[in-house]
Amino acid sequence: MTNMRNLILGAVFLVLLIAVPPLLDLAWQNALVNILIASLFALAFNLLIGQAGLLSFGHAAYFGIGAFAALHLMIAVENGLPFPTPLLPLAGAAAGLTVGLIAGYFATMRSGVYFALVTLAIAELFHSLAPRLEGMFGGEAGIASMRMPWASFTFGSMLSVYYLVLAWVVICGLGLWAYTRTPFGRLTLALRDNEQRVRFLGYNAHASKVIVFAISAMVTGIAGSLLAISNETANYSLFASAVSSQVVLQTFVGGATVFLGPVLGAAAFALFSFLVSDLTRSWVLYQGLIFVLVMLYAPSGIGGVVEHHIRNRKNLDWSRLAGPYLLALAGGLLIAAGVVFLTESASILFGEEYAMARQGANGGLPAYELFGLIWKPLSFVTWTVPAALLAGGGVVLMRARREIGAIWDSKGHGARPAAKSASMGGAA
Amino acid sequence: MEFAIISALNGVTYGLLLFMVSAGLTLIFGMMGVLNFAHASFYMLGAYVAYAVSSIFGFWTGVIVAPIVTGLIGMAVERFLLPKVHKHGHAHELLLTFGLALIIEELVKLFFGDFPVNYQMPASLRFSAFHIFGADYPFYRLFIGGVAVVMFTALWLLLTRTRTGIVVRAAERLPAMAEALGHNIPMVFMFVFGTGAALAGLAGAVAGAFYPTNPNMGLELGVIVFVVVVVGGLGSLKGSLLASLLIGLFSSFAVGLDWSLAKLLGLVGLGEWARSIGGLMTLELSSVSATIPFALMLIVLLVRPAGLMGERN
Amino acid sequence: MKRFAMIAATSAAALSASALHAEPLKIGIIESLSGAQTSTGRLYANAVAYGVAQINAAGGFNGEPVEVIEYDNAGGAPDAANKFRQAVADGVDIIFQGASSAIAGQLTEDVRKHNLRNPGKEVMFINLGGEAMELTGEKCQFYHFRFTTTAPMRVNALVGAMKKSGDLGEKAYSINQNYSWGQDMQAAVQTAAANGGYEIVGEVLHDVNKIQDFAPFVARLKSAEPDTVFTGNWSNDLLLLMKATGDAGLNVKFATAYLDQPGNIANAGATSLGHYIANNYENAATDGAFAEDYKKATGHYPIFVEGHSAFAVGALQQALGTLDFKGGDINVTSIAQALENTTYETPVGPVSVRKEDHQTIRPVVVSKVVKNAKYPADGTDMGFETVEVIPGEQAIYPVQDSCKMQRPDS
Repeated sequence: MTNMRNLILGAVFLVLLIAVPPLLDLAWQNALVNILIASLFALAFNLLIGQAGLLSFGHAAYFGIGAFAALHLMIAVENGLPFPTPLLPLAGAAAGLTVGLIAGYFATMRSGVYFALVTLAIAELFHSLAPRLEGMFGGEAGIASMRMPWASFTFGSMLSVYYLVLAWVVICGLGLWAYTRTPFGRLTLALRDNEQRVRFLGYNAHASKVIVFAISAMVTGIAGSLLAISNETANYSLFASAVSSQVVLQTFVGGATVFLGPVLGAAAFALFSFLVSDLTRSWVLYQGLIFVLVMLYAPSGIGGVVEHHIRNRKNLDWSRLAGPYLLALAGGLLIAAGVVFLTESASILFGEEYAMARQGANGGLPAYELFGLIWKPLSFVTWTVPAALLAGGGVVLMRARREIGAIWDSKGHGARPAAKSASMGGAA
Repeated sequence: MEFAIISALNGVTYGLLLFMVSAGLTLIFGMMGVLNFAHASFYMLGAYVAYAVSSIFGFWTGVIVAPIVTGLIGMAVERFLLPKVHKHGHAHELLLTFGLALIIEELVKLFFGDFPVNYQMPASLRFSAFHIFGADYPFYRLFIGGVAVVMFTALWLLLTRTRTGIVVRAAERLPAMAEALGHNIPMVFMFVFGTGAALAGLAGAVAGAFYPTNPNMGLELGVIVFVVVVVGGLGSLKGSLLASLLIGLFSSFAVGLDWSLAKLLGLVGLGEWARSIGGLMTLELSSVSATIPFALMLIVLLVRPAGLMGERN
Repeated sequence: MKRFAMIAATSAAALSASALHAEPLKIGIIESLSGAQTSTGRLYANAVAYGVAQINAAGGFNGEPVEVIEYDNAGGAPDAANKFRQAVADGVDIIFQGASSAIAGQLTEDVRKHNLRNPGKEVMFINLGGEAMELTGEKCQFYHFRFTTTAPMRVNALVGAMKKSGDLGEKAYSINQNYSWGQDMQAAVQTAAANGGYEIVGEVLHDVNKIQDFAPFVARLKSAEPDTVFTGNWSNDLLLLMKATGDAGLNVKFATAYLDQPGNIANAGATSLGHYIANNYENAATDGAFAEDYKKATGHYPIFVEGHSAFAVGALQQALGTLDFKGGDINVTSIAQALENTTYETPVGPVSVRKEDHQTIRPVVVSKVVKNAKYPADGTDMGFETVEVIPGEQAIYPVQDSCKMQRPDS
């Protein structure tokens, strides 16, 4: 019954993904391509942390390798190699798998913090060596190619790239999901929970981990090659630690314990960066705040919170919960508004343009514009507004949290999602 | 000879600076098993606080206030934030500090901008300590090294010779037992974390006046500090001193060495073949000196994860 | 009801007005507005905004004010590719960018492919700061214009001016960052050796913006005993190098390309006195009219890259002045052709486009850091004093053989 419904839901979603993009403009199509690629990257990454409990801080290495491999094949196709363009990601898969097997063999010899450090070191090696190896990585400018037509497809438009990416992401996503259902997939879960026991059961824990690592690297390589196909260029910045940390942020905000959690996180972040990054210069700060709040108050991520509610949906009195949830949302929005106000004010007041304006005003503190209104830096009102937003939001949130807690506890369903409201507050 | 002596001097002073930053990190890891990604951010924060304070109250006040501020922030992080994620395991603690690092860096950019700020040493410290081979040797480099040595000695004495040190070490080995004996273990942890952060802040305040103080300084040093701590052995103070000096000396000497794999193979007559391959083979050591530490860290992690002086994995 | 009618009336008026509107020229600035290069990215964006304000003050173009849209590439090539698509979706005709050669490389490729795939909807790219030689070499293309210098131009100018003033010496040392720009600089220093009459006593390429401690490099530099040190280093790599050299008390002259980056003079302090820089523009080399006007508009004198970036827009303005689309569709290819034929008179001399590779032939200003400068830098009493303005014909280098430009009109 549930399976049937999930299937229908999935099908509807897929139809939307196919039918809507032609109606969108180039920028949105491009944003969707990025969301899809980020989603696949996060899914592949989560195979390691969510399934096998291995926290990698260097997944950019396999992402970049996949991109460069696909691009080298693209260049060969441009020079006349008869290879179908839609199958280019196979090069990324092969490269990701190969490098993943080697790197995974060494990395999985260690666990915990040491594993994270090994992966970090491997990615840093790639990042610092790549610009030196011009033949392979093309120096700091990178390498470039052009998508060649195949059969009746020219792959000139963004839309055709979108469908190519969509097909690959859906196939790989289904493959990863199927993988978690296989006995071997179950075994990796056991590795996460109790490695000792897996060993006693007679399995080779190291070999199993290497395989998981290699599969994760392979799919990551595919994601990288999709980016290469979309951008038609790649340079060494793909190996940067920022790429590695971005996927960590997305996965954990989305929720590492739920299969589709990372997709939520990746989609949310990619969408936000598309919508917000030109509006504010403090976008990375907001990302960091959201991440820390999620870590503190909803360690299982957005996906975990959603799953928790779905699992308990039959036992919950939604009519009673709706009020406090709305209250919590309101509180969260108030706090978010206060934080945004303070951040943007600081960004203006400590910015270069304001310093110039101050020179113009002979060192005084001229008024500044924010959200279409004029604010005076020394006026009482200017600072009462954010203070009131924060205090009001805090009070509302505390109250909502108490009420929500009471309702969940009365159901006796163990740990409620710790202060879900706070994570919502951060997500503004 | 001239190059060797100057390089050795430079290597030791730079190594001591690395030690100043890594000491706190290794202390925290040794005690609490938390790999603090935000540690280098405390280093940067220290430099910025010192800059802000010193522009009004003078250099020395800045150097004193900076470690106090970063220490307090460190204590707050340990007291209020880390316990919330502790039950989810070390991975979550690591992720939390990683998020904090991101926030600290962005906040610094928000308030101080993206340019390097003009944080300078006082004129009274800007003189040449001695004249060697026709070049001056800045006193401030010795000053940085001296602060590090004093710090190491003080920490060492504190941990091995005082009652506080005994409690701290007991809390590290057998926290439950120490608690049963009536020691306030959470207090000890908070104190240790605060001290670690304060040390990083002090390093930032001292070094920021010599190297430029900019929003990337934490990021730039952060990875190297990880290398130091891993190579020395996570949790070993002696180890990180040794590793700091090693890496300091290495990065100082590597600059003058134009070795490459092709040259090495040339010794056995394979030089031509190696040069024809190019790529990795012809890279000169001096041009990849920033890469070598990562390779070193990788090898240590794989061959001897306990590091040079560490006791456990 | 009355209010409703009013809204209806005004919106109807707005609608009919917009139907009469011509197509505005849209300029997109794809710059590093967040990330490590923010400060530089911001300056490019400021200067372009200033330049466009000049066009609009003179009546705009095609009967409409020119529109400027800023895009943040976050300092990375992948983000720049995204923002390029966003810009195309927004209908941008001309793209400006400056803060990184790698990003310029991405954008010029994106522009080339876009124009191949979308004939009739071309986009052109005005490169304000990507100095990598390959942009006018292997990657050269009709729709890319470089409105800045390259390594040979800067080095030639430095060598010429320093030789004349007697500061060059006979032993030169080259220390540069190990990527295309640094390699270009090193090659240029080698090429100019015969002309300058110096011997190269040492060459170093080092990692880019990763080195914390330059003292070892200075130790190596010192043992070579050079008179002049050529460096294309920027940001931290320049600052740390100069500080370390100053601390060692070495008596060498630095010949630089980016000493005027904001913060450098203040941070290096007295250490920076007497060192040389070659760049596109310096306030002290002019009569000051442009500098004053810029200050009036933006609140500060033009610094670092702002001057020459504003001139690039000035050249565009002059090119646009020769065109008239009569309020109809904007033809970017015609604009590019007009820009090819433009010679723009900047306060330091004429700037024109070399048709073979779209490198601009432009004057290079060589300056020296002095105390009590006319235009002090970074709030200090130090600043740049002009040594010589090398005319474009003298600074320019031959077209690279690797440039095979496809022209739309051929």
